[in-house]
Amino acid sequence: MKSPRYLVAVPAALALALAGCGGSTGTTGGGSTATGSTDAGAPTDDSNCGDAEVFCIGLVTDTGKVDDKSFNQSAHEGALAAQAETNGFYKYVETQDPKDYAPNMAQFTNKKYDVVVTVGFLMTEATATAAAASPDTKFIGVDQFFDPEAVTAKNVTGILFPEDQAGYGAGYLAGLMTKTNKLGQVLGQEIPPVQKFAKGFEAGAKAANPEVTVSTVYHPAGDNAFNDPVWGAGEAKKMLAQKADIIFGAGGNTGNGALQEVAKASGAGESLFCIGVDTDQWDTVPAAQPCLITSAMKLITEGVTDTIITAKDGEFEGLTTMGAAGLAPYHDFEDKIPEDVKTKVADIVSQMEAGTLETGVTL
Amino acid sequence: MTAWVAKNRTTLVVAAVVIVAAYVFYYAKNDIAPSMFGAAWGYAIPLVLAALVGVIGERSGVVNIGIEGQMLLAAFAGFFAAAFSGSMIVGILAGVGTGLLAGGFLAWTTVRWRMDQIIAGVVLNIVATGLTSFYLVSGKILPGVIPNIEVPVLSAIPLIGDVFFSGRSAIALVAIIAAVTVHLALFHSRWGLRTRAVGEYPSAADTAGINVERLRLVNVTIAGSLAGLAGVYLSMDASSSFERGMTAGRGFLALAIMIMGAWRPLRAFAMALFFGFVNAVASQLQQTGGVSIPPQLTGTLPYVATLVVLAVAAGRVRAPGAVGQPYVKKDQ
Repeated sequence: MKSPRYLVAVPAALALALAGCGGSTGTTGGGSTATGSTDAGAPTDDSNCGDAEVFCIGLVTDTGKVDDKSFNQSAHEGALAAQAETNGFYKYVETQDPKDYAPNMAQFTNKKYDVVVTVGFLMTEATATAAAASPDTKFIGVDQFFDPEAVTAKNVTGILFPEDQAGYGAGYLAGLMTKTNKLGQVLGQEIPPVQKFAKGFEAGAKAANPEVTVSTVYHPAGDNAFNDPVWGAGEAKKMLAQKADIIFGAGGNTGNGALQEVAKASGAGESLFCIGVDTDQWDTVPAAQPCLITSAMKLITEGVTDTIITAKDGEFEGLTTMGAAGLAPYHDFEDKIPEDVKTKVADIVSQMEAGTLETGVTL
Repeated sequence: MTAWVAKNRTTLVVAAVVIVAAYVFYYAKNDIAPSMFGAAWGYAIPLVLAALVGVIGERSGVVNIGIEGQMLLAAFAGFFAAAFSGSMIVGILAGVGTGLLAGGFLAWTTVRWRMDQIIAGVVLNIVATGLTSFYLVSGKILPGVIPNIEVPVLSAIPLIGDVFFSGRSAIALVAIIAAVTVHLALFHSRWGLRTRAVGEYPSAADTAGINVERLRLVNVTIAGSLAGLAGVYLSMDASSSFERGMTAGRGFLALAIMIMGAWRPLRAFAMALFFGFVNAVASQLQQTGGVSIPPQLTGTLPYVATLVVLAVAAGRVRAPGAVGQPYVKKDQ
């Protein structure tokens, strides 16, 4: 009997077709979205990106996904907004493996895209290298700091956010709200943006309430640190069992797992609360609503949109562009958080905005 | 009885030491110990289920490196079936059913078509990654939660009751029952004897009148339901969302645990618990602070522990003889 081995070619081919090689991509040409008459005449593919009048935006994620409900999604939405505003063309690539950073960016630079947005601290070096190699394309690195001594290219800027301020505000609120004086943080990978959130949170909590102790865990693994909700949930469960009553989940899907675990616990929204990160997670993680009192936001969407517009109009202001950070609305907890707490938190936030209060966070 | 004790002396001594140490820790550090044991078990549940899939497969002579993909497909199917139908029961059934289907796919390709077992498993993993990414829909939420169960009487036992018999869903109980059942079935039933024969020396089993192909097909397919349950646990119980690649290597970890457990269900259970506990220690070290160890270093603790255990146990564990080889009757 001859076994029909050729039949395995079908699932194998299907798998390759679906899994893709360099990463998943998606495109949005203004004309193809059919949202209205304003974007008539927008390009529908990237074949003419070299033309001066065609404005093309490319986005490369770190190994995260554009639907991660926090960090990458915010940048993706910012690029979408810029695409609508500039009547240009937009395409993204999700990186599957860090060694693909350069090839993924090259997909855009080869076609003479005007702007390439690279999302995430981990892409800093790859972005600087690509910027030096492709002087005609402007590069925007979200969460990336370029050392002026090492990077001389003028076609690159890094958007940085004062995460420590957002974390500080959230921590201040948590410090005032806690009854057990125990707080927990479930975090993604230990990299500067996450550390700034975490240290800001701890500093804010201690400023509001010196009695408080803050338990902190970072995801130990490198490659899936932001995409392991089961681990995040397990850590949150452990912290709750150790009497923490407010959990700050900061780390993409890993943090979302922690938020959802708190939302499922008995007492969620009454004695147990959770705090989200990056975007207003009330909207992005509905399952966390039972416990989500606020989110420590960095306004990535606005930062990315504004910086892309700047790039279209002319030169970047420098190697670093400062974005904004803040606290999300309280939503359904508006009435459950005492007035005096809200007043104090609002006061702290405005002091930070005015620059009169330093978080004291150093990395 | 005495013969049994003599034969299993090392295992019994190790078990006794571990249990005594666990109770000492439980009473000495009652503020953190129960939650650490709980976290260990929570981490171990999917590993136990997945390791059993591996044990059943390899004891029958089929390597299953597609457990990761089976779990991912089941996690996906379970979550979205529940979200779209509005019923958790439908979701659980869909997840387990998907696990069965994926097991059936692997069984059919490797046993009937005699495809290379490693390649079949890799194909399954890639198909699972592709399908679940492609058909993912954002913004869905589960219609409810899988309720936690307090087992009467058993939940009152200190330590064991806290960890295994209260505050966990039925899936956790199934994991315990499955480990015990597979152990009893494998070593004390006719099915078990035949399965082991098929995995060790299929031509001898064939001579004795056992239908090698059919037994392998059935075993690998049925084992898929456990992988399905592990997937359901990941997306519907341990967390309440499906994310791409959310299995995060647990299927491969389960294979390592299967080997550490010497292809025996109860030892694999113990190894999964051990692995979970080392993980809990690693995160507790980070969490309590005091000693300032970088998380990257504490994060390696479980793997270092795995290496040590494997090194100590190396040479004593042996894979089933016919693992990885498709069975071809000589007269064909």
